[in-house]
Amino acid sequence: MTISWFQAAILGFFACLCSNSCMAGQAVGNYTIGRPLVGGLVCGIVLGNIPLGIACGVATQLVYIALVTPGGTVAADVRAISYIGIPLAMVAISSRGLNPMGANAANMAKSLATLVGTLGSVLFYAVAFLNLVWQAFGWKDIEKGKLNNLYGVNFGWPWLSHLVFSFLPTMLMTHFGAQAVTALRTALPMDGIPMKTLFTVGAMLPCVGIAILLRQIINKALDFIPFLVGFTLAASLHLNLVAVTVISLLFAVIMYEIEMAKGSDNSGSGAQTAAANDVPVDDDEEEEDI
Amino acid sequence: MENTDTKKLSHKTLSKSFNLWFWGALTCFSQEHMQTFGYLCSMLPVIKELYPNDAKAQKDNIQAYTAFFNTNPMLGSVIVGTTASLEEARANGTGIDGQTINDMRAGLMGPIAGIGDSLIDGTLIPILLGIALGMSRNGSPVGAIFYIVVWDLIAYFGQRFLYFRGYKLGDQAVNFLVGKQGKAVRRAIAIVGGMVVGGVLATWVNVTTSLQLKDSTGKVFLDLQKQLDGIFPGLLTVIVTLFCWWLMAKKHVSAIWTMIILIGVAFVGVVLGVFNPGLKY
Repeated sequence: MTISWFQAAILGFFACLCSNSCMAGQAVGNYTIGRPLVGGLVCGIVLGNIPLGIACGVATQLVYIALVTPGGTVAADVRAISYIGIPLAMVAISSRGLNPMGANAANMAKSLATLVGTLGSVLFYAVAFLNLVWQAFGWKDIEKGKLNNLYGVNFGWPWLSHLVFSFLPTMLMTHFGAQAVTALRTALPMDGIPMKTLFTVGAMLPCVGIAILLRQIINKALDFIPFLVGFTLAASLHLNLVAVTVISLLFAVIMYEIEMAKGSDNSGSGAQTAAANDVPVDDDEEEEDI
Repeated sequence: MENTDTKKLSHKTLSKSFNLWFWGALTCFSQEHMQTFGYLCSMLPVIKELYPNDAKAQKDNIQAYTAFFNTNPMLGSVIVGTTASLEEARANGTGIDGQTINDMRAGLMGPIAGIGDSLIDGTLIPILLGIALGMSRNGSPVGAIFYIVVWDLIAYFGQRFLYFRGYKLGDQAVNFLVGKQGKAVRRAIAIVGGMVVGGVLATWVNVTTSLQLKDSTGKVFLDLQKQLDGIFPGLLTVIVTLFCWWLMAKKHVSAIWTMIILIGVAFVGVVLGVFNPGLKY
């Protein structure tokens, strides 16, 4: 499998749309087009092998099930994962003749996409850095009272940042990278230590993604219990995620009732205690917010 | 205000302001200003309608939004909606000034970011993705399409709802999120988040050891793995995950270094024969 200039250019365009300072809106760009599962579909269509693309997307998505960017710090970059990593993984898997649905193909995809994604965070910072130039234009425009120019600063000029740091790198790396990945087939045999390590790491990488999520959820030792219950429901009882979610809702309702029944003097974990006289009137309405 | 010429923002303007936020919250992102320019653009239609044909007033009032701003853009739309209503109040001379608006924004962006990251990124998206992954397990595009449709509908209409709720209730709109009831909801959602994350891990991740023999076809039949599964199915997966959590949460190792440590663990394990993916051409 090779990647033509035309295919590489389309991948480059999608890389622009989804990158973290995203051209298609945060929800649509970063959270939709940038997710590896969706990237797998796009790459599958572009490279003409949808099942393989989806398989790579599914595998890679696990690592990034929780891609949170607190305060604009990124450990990995979605444009590189989804539109450089996945295409290269597809080339590697098909050139090595692995079964696309097999665990080994999945581990290969995870390792490759994660490696590229981690390196790709350079692109994220490069775009953010170049955007400073357009923002400087913006401050001058405000100074002069040319407020309409702000639309250009926010929606127009950043395309240049992406042309340089999203479109070009993606196009070059997918086009030439595909040739390199194919050439590597002979250099690194499958039963050698480097490839074995690569596949083993691939199987472990999703644990990092889950651990990132846990870091947000877990504040004290007791918080591990819902996590372990959920794990046990799926691992031992083989329930699927919808079933686990439904069961968890039961516990959530109980927790909500207990919290609301407690007096307002519970200091808890030092959360904000503003609006102490906030009367719980419309319960069902709050659920919509989420 | 019983003023005869009370200014009122039109629905069209609010809609435009919301859409500018939805599509542009982060398009001109930099480490220095983050969402500032997205916010500025989003407030432009509001300012222009409140101060038509008065370039000086427009410029003076937009100054409030040149301050640094960064929050979770999904839930953050409630703050944008709230400032639209405060801006309307300011134009009607209720004594609200740019400083008040700025204090409100600055005070809210932290809590909203924390709540939004755990609700949206930590709970809602893993649930949606977990379901979608199951649907795409065999290389079928159905799961990916499911995620695209469901998430974008929730994101667009959810943010729109929050924006207009923020506009309607003004600074009271956020009391729910940071008040007692909001806290109870967050605790409840944390349970859902924890259980779903556990389910995702068990469903999708499977770390196994090969510390035993394998036959000539590369198929591994192993004692240690069986014994571990006898204790608790998926024990090794949980251990590796908790190890990563411990590194990041307790030892403050970054995600990249955690991955590098895993490479080291995997390499040593492969050399010692603890791990073996059992591959051949």
